Amino acid sequence: MTAPGRIADRSARPAAEPIIRMIGVDKAFGDHVVYRDMYLDVPKGQTTTIIGPSGGGKSVCMKMIIGLLRPDRGRILVDGADVTEMGEEELRALRRRVAYVFQGGALFDSMTVADNVAYGLREHTDLSEEEIDAKVRACLDMVGLSDDLLDEMPSSLSGGMKKRVALARSIAMEPDVILYDEPTTGLDPKNIAVIGDMILKLQSELGVTSLVVTHDMPMAFRVSDHIAMLSDHKFPFVGTPYEMATSEVDLVRDFVHGRIADAP
Amino acid sequence: MTDLLDRIGAVLVRGIVQMGEVSRLLWITVRRGPRRPVGFGEIKYQTVMLGVRSLPLATFMSLFIGMILAWQFGWALQDFGAKMALGYASSLALVRELVPTVLAVTVGAKMAAGIAAELGSMKVTEQIDAISALGADPVKKLVWPRLVAATLSLPLINAWSNVVALGGGAIIADTVFGVPAGYFYETYIDELVPMDYLSSEIKALVFGGLVGLIGCHHGFRTEIGTEAVGRSTTDTVVACSISVIVADFFLTMIFLPV
Repeated sequence: MTAPGRIADRSARPAAEPIIRMIGVDKAFGDHVVYRDMYLDVPKGQTTTIIGPSGGGKSVCMKMIIGLLRPDRGRILVDGADVTEMGEEELRALRRRVAYVFQGGALFDSMTVADNVAYGLREHTDLSEEEIDAKVRACLDMVGLSDDLLDEMPSSLSGGMKKRVALARSIAMEPDVILYDEPTTGLDPKNIAVIGDMILKLQSELGVTSLVVTHDMPMAFRVSDHIAMLSDHKFPFVGTPYEMATSEVDLVRDFVHGRIADAP
Repeated sequence: MTDLLDRIGAVLVRGIVQMGEVSRLLWITVRRGPRRPVGFGEIKYQTVMLGVRSLPLATFMSLFIGMILAWQFGWALQDFGAKMALGYASSLALVRELVPTVLAVTVGAKMAAGIAAELGSMKVTEQIDAISALGADPVKKLVWPRLVAATLSLPLINAWSNVVALGGGAIIADTVFGVPAGYFYETYIDELVPMDYLSSEIKALVFGGLVGLIGCHHGFRTEIGTEAVGRSTTDTVVACSISVIVADFFLTMIFLPV
């Protein structure tokens, strides 16, 4: 548990215009309701973290933002454009601007590290192989990985390295928004700290908007400008880490102190 | 009784739904696949993976199909003193029916199961979602090259297998029934007309397309967990075998109208 006194009050940062808006979203899988009349704003250029119990639908929220899942009702706006009304071509264009870092990395296991990182560049740009190679090296350097890994296959990497390669693959296209799906799950404390550093570094150096899904409270307090707490199919609390840590609301206090069970 | 009818109904409905899903996948693939870049490199790679690597199995299967059929016909014909007609008797059954069909339910099912297992593993590990998330099209990237490779590979393997089956038949004709291999070859070829070869190749082409589509469809709809990959692979083999046999029936009706 992190003591409220140690939480940096980043609320001093002026509230930015939302780049992502989720408005009245409903989503269910059969009888299993994930979201009901859910609202969430993600401010531009800042880091928002979604916390909540495992199985509560945090990843579903992110997948709806890039159109991998469609809501049953409601609107999802990214930079003013409604994702729910986008066709395949528009979605593909959106996904070049909104990167998704998958929980397990989702690296292509038949490709080398270099080919994984270069995937989006080869797909969407006319860069020469020399330019792509330079860009791949720069991306790996940004996430703290050495060039020696270029020809390695994902199966030979550790969990932390896989997540960093996935991060390098995501930033190669210079996205405006990065969605991190449980970036620290399964990592040791040292790698959790490294990933936290990466998120902060990418935000400060690239100015990207970050949306992080996690149930790791210290991580959430460390990297976030805003924290949204998922409970009962919506986000009843959205505030700064300081506001969350000092909240007197029982629901928030229970979660911060680890007294909320996983979703059924 | 009601239970039985319910179960039969459920199986039929599931079959019809799957046919609809596979047809939809075919439509999407044909619409998006040929767009530039066509992906010749990946098609070539998949042709090697699916086709060239299936050659040993295809050769083994067709050699034995040829030998078994020649033995069966030879055994029946020698009772009528007609063993010299062994080439005539074997050729049509082998070229028009047995080689393409047995090839599709063995080599084709192997191809489809391989595709389903590969794509299923990618689905489970979110690699297919990752392709989408990187702004690429999984149908174009994964289904299109496999569909084209399977559709091209099976007719090529079929052509080779017809030659091997002829060889297998000739070995048995010569060594077991005393019909000279050269004579077997002459009568075998004499019985066939170009349409027989064409129908054999068209069957293999259709079976190849079915194999590719069914493998991709089952791979894409794999659910969560490694157990689901195994289930998808098994379902693929069953769906592939049934589809090939049903398609064979209708193709035979078309090529041999009464």
